[in-house]
Amino acid sequence: MFQSIYDFFSNPQTQTVLSALNSGFLVTLQLFVITLAGALPLGLLISLGSMNRMRPFGWIARHLGIIPRRRVAVWICSFRPVSAICRLLVWIIRGTPLVLQIIALYYVPGIEKWFYWPSSNGRMIAVCLAFILNYACYFSEIYRGGIQGVPVGQQEAGQVLGMTKGQIFFKVTLLQMVKRIVPPMSNEIITLVKDTSLARVIALQEVIWMGESFMKGNSGISGLTWPLFFTAVYYLIFSGVATILLGRLEKKLNYFQ
Amino acid sequence: MKKKLFALLLAAAMGISLVACAEQPDAGQSQSPDPSQTQSGTPDPSQSPEQESDLQYVKDKGTLVVGITNFAPMDYKEEGSDEWIGFDADMARLFAESLGVTVEFQEITWDYKVMELDSKAIDVVWNGMTLNDEVMAAMGTSTPYCTNYQTLVYLSDRAADFEGLTSLEGLNIAVESGSAGEDAAEALGATTVPVQSQANTLMEVAAGTSDAAVIDVLMAAEMTGEGTSYDNLSYSLNLNDTQGLASEEYGVGFRQGSDLVEEFNQFWADKVADDTVLEVATTYGLQDAVILD
Repeated sequence: MFQSIYDFFSNPQTQTVLSALNSGFLVTLQLFVITLAGALPLGLLISLGSMNRMRPFGWIARHLGIIPRRRVAVWICSFRPVSAICRLLVWIIRGTPLVLQIIALYYVPGIEKWFYWPSSNGRMIAVCLAFILNYACYFSEIYRGGIQGVPVGQQEAGQVLGMTKGQIFFKVTLLQMVKRIVPPMSNEIITLVKDTSLARVIALQEVIWMGESFMKGNSGISGLTWPLFFTAVYYLIFSGVATILLGRLEKKLNYFQ
Repeated sequence: MKKKLFALLLAAAMGISLVACAEQPDAGQSQSPDPSQTQSGTPDPSQSPEQESDLQYVKDKGTLVVGITNFAPMDYKEEGSDEWIGFDADMARLFAESLGVTVEFQEITWDYKVMELDSKAIDVVWNGMTLNDEVMAAMGTSTPYCTNYQTLVYLSDRAADFEGLTSLEGLNIAVESGSAGEDAAEALGATTVPVQSQANTLMEVAAGTSDAAVIDVLMAAEMTGEGTSYDNLSYSLNLNDTQGLASEEYGVGFRQGSDLVEEFNQFWADKVADDTVLEVATTYGLQDAVILD
């Protein structure tokens, strides 16, 4: 048994395949890290935007001393443009397939002659942008749930203590939100690990692309099907590590109990 | 008050970014009339001086980006090497040299080859591409340089069922979606199972989910038999003959109306004349398939 496993891994063909899969997995990792780094802060911005209560028309009307009476006027005065735009964005991004967003972001600018992606790393940049935007929208809803789940009493307690609004937001609301969102975030992050495989639609050579390449032929090896299925090992290990790390994070944030 | 001001600022920023978004398509539209005018104004865009020369674009850029898929013996890598070789890769290198630019190989998803060209992600599709109506309508194609035919791949155990067939009626045949093999299988009455790539068609056959597959003979030779995962598969039949069609021809695809087509045809004629083409083809066992007249 051990001998056959050893034989398998010491076979030069296996080593060629594994080194190709490794290089593909590096691309997967890179995409994963960049997406998280971009989407975590952007998601918070979008969630704040979608909770923004600013009503500019109502504000103008109040300063002009107008009291809206008709239904349309009341609606306009209570309209929240920032929130509406953010929710529209979330609807569009969550409502269309990520794979379509990747294709559109990469090919449409060039076809419409707006701009051309650089030929060296344009694919990576386009895929990263698509992933960041997509995941930021999902994250924003998780943040919103976390922020709105903090009891109003907590903010009121902050006010009683004489904290400023900024202090209340960062030191009371955000602090309690972070620990609440870890489980749903973990879910989304594990999904991201596997979603990175969608990037191969525009020929970004991540680990599944590399696995598939040996069916057709790569590095003089063709007609091999096991590398494709072997990529599962990479995903399993990676999501296993992510699960453990996120579990630890959850324990660490186990304050205020 | 501070918060309101901040919020107003944010709203203004949003508004500006919206306007910027709205302007982008405008900018695109104001540019797009140029090519459409030249297209309607002059029937042959390659001779139109108004349209930006594709040849000049590539020369200015200094690189010729060649769109390929990993496809032996056309574009592939030797075991342990990181350099693209193959009949098409070697000739592409020579073509780039003749233009005075460096060659860059880019693996693409085959379904998106036209979009890759039009969005200038690549400059040429040079990958054993069969010249069919769709390709010729969407690209500027070269004169054909290589011949190929479609063949039937099946489990060796069931060879007796397939040898000498003249019709594929009643069979589930795996084909690459949009390929010449799909056309052939449909013309011969098969129930087709379109999948993503020619490689995937073989997986269908090996897994028993399809009876057989129709793919390029050059590819069938490369992917089946000893030393592959498909050593239980065999192929036979020239399905182009079965249909009474001529063999297919491979060509090189450029952007529609590109002046690189003429440049390429001239280059190719020169290389045929000085026997370079035959020499390179022989290296990859294609001396019978390559077109030399």
